[in-house]
Amino acid sequence: MDTSMIISSAIAVVGTLIIAFAVSVWLPGIERKFVQARIQQRVGPPISSPGLMAPIKFFFKEAVTPNSPMPRLYNAIPLISLIIVTAILLIIMPQMYFLGGLASIIAVVGLLKVEEITYMFMGSLSKSVLSVNMPFPDHAKGAKHVDATRSFIEELSTLRAFRLIAFGSFPLYIALFVPVAMSKSIYLSNIIAFQQLHGPVLFTVAGAIGAVVYFIGSMILLNEYPFAIMKTKADVIEGPMLEYMSKYRAYTYITKGLLIFVLASLFTTMFIGIPPNLFSPGILVTLATAIIFPILIASMSAFSPVFTFKQFYPVVAVTSILGAVAIAASFL
Amino acid sequence: MSNNNQVNSKVIETEVPLGTVHSAALEPYRVRLFVEDEYVRDAEITIGVNHRGIERIMEGLPVEKANALTEKICGICSHIHIWNSCLVAEKGLEIDVPPRAEYIRLIMSELERLHSHLLYLAHGCEVLGHETFSMRIFYIRETVMELLRMIGGNRVQYGVPVIGGIRPRSDLNEMRIQKISEGMDLIEEKMTEFADRFTRDPMIMSRITGVAALSKEDALRLAATGPTLRSTGVEVDLRRDMRQYDPFEFEVITQDDGDVKSNLLMRALEIFEAIKIIRQAVKDLPEGKITNRSWEMQDTGIIRSYIEAPRGKLYHSYRLEDGRVRNSIIRTPSITNINAMEHACIGTHITEAQLAIVQCDPCFTCTDRAIQIVDHPLKKTNKQNKII
Repeated sequence: MDTSMIISSAIAVVGTLIIAFAVSVWLPGIERKFVQARIQQRVGPPISSPGLMAPIKFFFKEAVTPNSPMPRLYNAIPLISLIIVTAILLIIMPQMYFLGGLASIIAVVGLLKVEEITYMFMGSLSKSVLSVNMPFPDHAKGAKHVDATRSFIEELSTLRAFRLIAFGSFPLYIALFVPVAMSKSIYLSNIIAFQQLHGPVLFTVAGAIGAVVYFIGSMILLNEYPFAIMKTKADVIEGPMLEYMSKYRAYTYITKGLLIFVLASLFTTMFIGIPPNLFSPGILVTLATAIIFPILIASMSAFSPVFTFKQFYPVVAVTSILGAVAIAASFL
Repeated sequence: MSNNNQVNSKVIETEVPLGTVHSAALEPYRVRLFVEDEYVRDAEITIGVNHRGIERIMEGLPVEKANALTEKICGICSHIHIWNSCLVAEKGLEIDVPPRAEYIRLIMSELERLHSHLLYLAHGCEVLGHETFSMRIFYIRETVMELLRMIGGNRVQYGVPVIGGIRPRSDLNEMRIQKISEGMDLIEEKMTEFADRFTRDPMIMSRITGVAALSKEDALRLAATGPTLRSTGVEVDLRRDMRQYDPFEFEVITQDDGDVKSNLLMRALEIFEAIKIIRQAVKDLPEGKITNRSWEMQDTGIIRSYIEAPRGKLYHSYRLEDGRVRNSIIRTPSITNINAMEHACIGTHITEAQLAIVQCDPCFTCTDRAIQIVDHPLKKTNKQNKII
């Protein structure tokens, strides 16, 4: 590989990353302003507010120590999460396929799993001030069950995050293996080459079913309504993320927007055969998918109540079965 | 510690405390959920962090001022408080209220019931996580709020009733009557669409059917009141016993299951009954005076009055001494519904516990009026001993 190629590859990677960050900060705004607010017949926030202006504002806020047994680790998790999501975007870029095994679907799945696990750490490291501090004692005369062991709602969020990882992410990962089964390779380069030769996976029966399953899986991974089991009213709305403040909160906002972009890019890579690449016109497909994704997500979210496990399990089970059907169909 | 608590503490292992200030709750209150495997086995709701001492402030105030103060108890059902408080004075002083004023008070009361029930439905949908329905109900509610503003001059505290009648600015002319009629048509049309869409949505129905059910026996045993009681099949409505409601035809809505679905449907159907009453009232609105000023102040014994507020039975009592209020007591419906709220939580998943509480339409800030002052002697510490 000569020097000019290395430089152009580096420019492509950095440029794609810059575009990804620049676009992703607008995606939460598109989701909330253009779709949800219109469906809900309300004004909605400015389009720049949820993804761009809010993080900027939070960067200039004062940070106080959270009510956590390990506050520094708790605060570090959003940054770790952001790095993981960025790493996923990096390895799906064609310039990084020289990494071999790291540029494979296994690495993508592994990193997505790590991203999911961060919610468990957030929950277990958070001790909400909203649940415990009281202006008067609970154990007053006549109080029930005075000796019960106290638990924090965030600890329940940890359990819920665990279930989300254990069950909820099945559809996404099953759907990711539809193109793998069709191309008979776990390497992203081979999956893209297969689609360049045989056409996009999306336009096959197996691919179309897989795409639907992938979309539902993305909503679960993004904790979007109706799959927001970590954001129910029994939780403190944002569950394990409640106590993030200042720049740490900004990182969570940026990560949310970037994750939407990354999942859309992964979709175009796996189901259309177009990886995110600044020097290719295919980047327009990636950008269009990145805009369509939050629009579809917001449309579905706006017409559904939050699921409890009673609804969540059957939906995940049916979607996973659909994914398995798609994989079976991909062998035909 | 009682033996009962000792026994129970062995069974209930984990407590999940929420609040008093908690983003899932609209008002400050403390909920202790005792859970096993994320299912609520017992619950305890404590209020007392937002006591505003309204009865204490009312003590010794001229009765007109005290009545006006009762309106500040609630931001949702403010009219029903001042109406009931005026009824106490009118009952004690034997004041005849002109029929036109009675009708306008009643119209305000039913408009308030409409906006309270719509707020309940919107809040219920919001707790379900269905923001779209919540927003659309608020959109319907906006019509009622504008009608209330038109009659009372404000969207929250209207100050319509005075002793012996109503405030002159709240009288209804032809234009206002026309606007009320148009408003009722609009609300009825939109509510019909909403109720149809709501009850046909399988996802919503699966979220609310059979959740947090309260039996008729439990509701009676726990002294539930208002729509919470009626949703279990008990046909009790104080409006049936009020002479002000005698000229009007309306149904007392009941549901059978006592669950979240029954409670939501209960309020939705009561909205149509309130519209029916308002239509009759504006159609048959009597002509004549709106205030009876020919009465004299005198001392009275303790006078009591009950009224059907949007959330249930509302009680006001006081006595008059030199035109001033003494021994004022107010009891809002939520205080009797707290037991039902606690009971409804039992057996639900923890994610539905908030819904179980909300289904009883709590209004704790208005309810917070009992206070117990305990003279707590300082503990004698070693440090104090040394100083002594």
